Amino acid sequence: MKAILALATKDLRLLLRDRVGFFFTFFFPLLYAVFFGAIFSAQGRGASALNVVVVDEDQTDASKAFVAELNDSPELEVSTASREEAVNLVRRGRRVGYIVLPPGFGQARGRVFGGESVKLETGMDPSRMAEAGLLQGVLTRHMYRGIQDAFSNPSVMRKQLSESLADVQASADMDPAWRTTLQWFLPVMDRFLAELPSGEGMGRAFQPFEIESKDVQVRRGGPQNSYEISFPQGVIWGVMACSAGFGISLVVERTRGTLVRLRIAPIGRMHILGGKAIACLLTTMGVPALLLALGVVAFGIRPDSWALVFVAVASMGLCFVGIMMMLSVMGKTEQAAGGIGWAVLTVMAMIGGGMIPLFVMPPWMQTISHASPVKWSILALEGAIWRNFSASEMLLPCAILVATGLTTFFVGTRAFRWAQE
Amino acid sequence: MLTLRNVRKSFGRIVAVDDLSLTIKPGEVFGLLGPNGAGKTTTVNMAVGLLRPDQGTVEIQGAGAPDQPRVRGRIGVAPQALALYDELTGEENLAFFGKLQGLTGRLLADRVQWALEFVALTDRRRDRVSTYSGGMKRRLNIAVAMIHAPSLLLLDEPTVGVDPQSRNAIFENILALKGKGHTIVYTTHYMEEAQRLCDRVGIMDHGRLLALDTVEGLITAHGGKSVLFLEREDGERRIETDDPLRELVGLPNNGALRRFRLERPNLERVFLHLTGRELRDA
Ligand SMILES: Nc1ncnc2c1ncn2[C@@H]1O[C@H](COP(=O)(O)OP(=O)(O)OP(=O)(O)O)[C@@H](O)[C@H]1O
Ligand SMILES: [Mg+2]
Repeated sequence: MKAILALATKDLRLLLRDRVGFFFTFFFPLLYAVFFGAIFSAQGRGASALNVVVVDEDQTDASKAFVAELNDSPELEVSTASREEAVNLVRRGRRVGYIVLPPGFGQARGRVFGGESVKLETGMDPSRMAEAGLLQGVLTRHMYRGIQDAFSNPSVMRKQLSESLADVQASADMDPAWRTTLQWFLPVMDRFLAELPSGEGMGRAFQPFEIESKDVQVRRGGPQNSYEISFPQGVIWGVMACSAGFGISLVVERTRGTLVRLRIAPIGRMHILGGKAIACLLTTMGVPALLLALGVVAFGIRPDSWALVFVAVASMGLCFVGIMMMLSVMGKTEQAAGGIGWAVLTVMAMIGGGMIPLFVMPPWMQTISHASPVKWSILALEGAIWRNFSASEMLLPCAILVATGLTTFFVGTRAFRWAQE
Repeated sequence: MLTLRNVRKSFGRIVAVDDLSLTIKPGEVFGLLGPNGAGKTTTVNMAVGLLRPDQGTVEIQGAGAPDQPRVRGRIGVAPQALALYDELTGEENLAFFGKLQGLTGRLLADRVQWALEFVALTDRRRDRVSTYSGGMKRRLNIAVAMIHAPSLLLLDEPTVGVDPQSRNAIFENILALKGKGHTIVYTTHYMEEAQRLCDRVGIMDHGRLLALDTVEGLITAHGGKSVLFLEREDGERRIETDDPLRELVGLPNNGALRRFRLERPNLERVFLHLTGRELRDA
């Protein structure tokens, strides 16, 4: 046991002396967690609004008011330009899309009955189609607001009504039945509005419906903030770096000859690998502990259950000790082991949600992710931090992690090359 | 102290050690002399349990085979390829390997200090090994082998890449250890080293042990006669003789001898005789 401790202490000392290794096991994961946490939380506040350009070909007060309205909305960042410029901006990727307000837009907007409908022309950057839906939604809401305003402001509405009546009488191709109806309805409506006392309070009564959007804030079963999502991801990177670092260090012991010394010493082979495993476990558990402690102190992470956080960290630590053992047999040289090891880990992270959160991935990708220990690590951590997992819900990811750890450790120790070829 | 009986080891088609038998006596300095690829390192590796012989047995007297960890505690090895942690200091390397040998506390600290003094690295003990010169690393490599005062010490080419000064320091270390009763196995392809240090020498080539005796014994058996070169007014003469002094004294006293040169048989000649090749270009 003393020998194992001596071995483990030596490895920890070597790790602390290796500046690059220390960067990747601690600072890089921290950077990752803080960086992505900051990005996501900024997005939540609407700072990364859609960047659109408006071409106002109408140039009326109403169209200008509409542009101002769009600009006020938190989802959009609006600038104006000529049509040519606007198309160019989108083409060059400087804006997500453009919106053209055609001549007559101001007049047409908010007209409730009859007349030409308002044709808004929009153009989207094809690579940003996901945002096109969002833009359409925002536009619809603003167009609708024109109508809503009409109802809530009787004098505007009455002006609209008389214009509409004139349109109806002037139009030649309107269905006679519809025209008769409108010629009856519009004056009645006009009289009705004239009766209304004008005032804000009363105007409200006419709003057909109102949409109030609120941030969904369900504390239990949801992350407290974006850092509760980004920190588990950062932790994974730290744990993977530990795993790779120790796996490579086993190869280095062989290539630099120190493994010979260890084998000559009066200790068994399992002591040698055991010492590595313990040192590795101390870091694969220590790095997450340190990162999460920082997350709690400085970034407002509030785990649901500390006990489950420990269980998650321990399971994940064990899993990646096994993977360390596996990585140590993947290359004969330090470079080969490092290259292959990181390639394997990167793929694990990629499909396991260590780079891009799983919930934004397509379903087939989410299925593949079951094969990645990274997925189960993140799930276990999230389960303990914000998914409010019960002990039995924790069992699945943790059991998978521990089983993976034991299997890979066993296979790795069996395949380990003791002598330099 | 150490007995190898009919050991054989091959790597693929290469037979590295072929049916080698050897007994190292307690307290002696034993030299294993042979050219590159002779099988010296392979022999050492089997002796310390790093390699398992394909055939034959290895035994540390009174303890058993070195593939048991307990038995290995009696052996110290300085591998031919340096085996040190570059990012640890000299002192930390010694302390770590000392702990693996079961040393602790006061005893460990004393042994570390002794080993550092022994190889004259006390003033560099707090520096990382990566900052050491090649010779210093060699010396530390030996010191680590001795940290637990093993009764049997195997040094595999401990003087490779070492300047004459450090080499002398290493020789003195080895003689000092011998004086303290340690048994030492020393491999080299420098015959002067074997001749200077070793009580007995085994000559190896192509995995076989060709001869084994004291330096004197080897020379007597395989070195041939001394050669006396005489330069006289009437020309040169070359005389092979067992007793050069008698030859010189017995020369006709005509004052015509200008100078003479004596070539005594050495291990180089022994090797030439045994293999038909020079050791240095073997
Ligand atoms: N691990 C190995 N795999 C394959 N061949 C090996 C291995 N180790 C040694 N050999 C071969 O065995 C033979 C003996 O090698 P060994 O290292 O024992 O020689 P040596 O006498 O120590 O030489 P040197 O003076 O160069 O150190 C050589 O032909 C070498 O190529
Ligand atoms: Mg050798």
